[in-house]
Amino acid sequence: MRPELLKGHLDALLLAVLEPGPQHGYAVIESLRIGSGGTLDLPTGTVYPALHRLERAGLIGSDWETVGGRRRRTYQLTASGRAALGEHRALWAEFSIAVTALLGRTRPAPA
Amino acid sequence: MNPPAGAALTTPIRAYLDEVAGGLTGPRRVRARILAELRDGLEQAVADRTAPGEPADQATATVIAEFGRPDVVAAAFAEELATAYARRTLITYVVTGPLVGIWWLMLLHPDPWRTSLAALLTAVPVIPLITAGLAAAAGTLATTGRLMRWLPETRPDRALIATATVAGLTLAGDLFIIDVAAHSGTLTRPLAVIALSGSLTRIGYSLRTVVNASTRRRALSH
Repeated sequence: MRPELLKGHLDALLLAVLEPGPQHGYAVIESLRIGSGGTLDLPTGTVYPALHRLERAGLIGSDWETVGGRRRRTYQLTASGRAALGEHRALWAEFSIAVTALLGRTRPAPA
Repeated sequence: MNPPAGAALTTPIRAYLDEVAGGLTGPRRVRARILAELRDGLEQAVADRTAPGEPADQATATVIAEFGRPDVVAAAFAEELATAYARRTLITYVVTGPLVGIWWLMLLHPDPWRTSLAALLTAVPVIPLITAGLAAAAGTLATTGRLMRWLPETRPDRALIATATVAGLTLAGDLFIIDVAAHSGTLTRPLAVIALSGSLTRIGYSLRTVVNASTRRRALSH
């Protein structure tokens, strides 16, 4: 999928991936890739800044822990993030119904 | 599966992280956390591949390719680092402002204290500048932070402009108040030493901030 098509939706997708429970950054990115059947395959390193931006907005929180001798940052949804995800879902449902109604039409045969 | 504890950082991963680090500009602590997080992700990704039997060299090369070119990854972090810089600087101004301002207020306040706003503005004429600076700082902090969900987000280049503006207003305010104090003869009072030291320190900080914010903004637009 072209990266520009993702613009504007990445926030919601990352929030959705974190909805079931806390995950570390790489696991979030893998969930995004696997959950989309490989369609959302962004350069891994470029997804981390999107997570940091969501944290700045207070939609996710993070904790550092030490795993296998390495420092690991784990992200989790905040109450605001859960609410924002709900809003994104409602907007997406409205948008996708409208777009499908138009793009899904069968083109009339030329006269 | 996690890589073994204390596993040495492989040379290709180290080289990759060094290249990313070379493209990161911003607060040192923030950069260190970014690199620690990338390192964890890279090593975990390699471990996920080697666990089922993929050769380590091949796994490392694939993972590095998947993470993206170092310059692309560094550029992706540039906006976050610029915003982090702007927020940290604005918070410094908001927090330290009263620490400097209180001494000038004690030196220059109208006598008696309880008097009109006009008298206060005459005695401390930088108050409008301070108010404008505070408003710009508060607005930028709000719209680059938790209020982003409800208010339009201030983009990093705008946050840097706001930071340079606040620095400029503070610089003007400090120079103005020193001039006012010099003409009122209050610089000879003992309190003036503290007030003057605070303002001179802040003048230096503001000059650096104007230059740094402008440099970062130019780098962001490239």
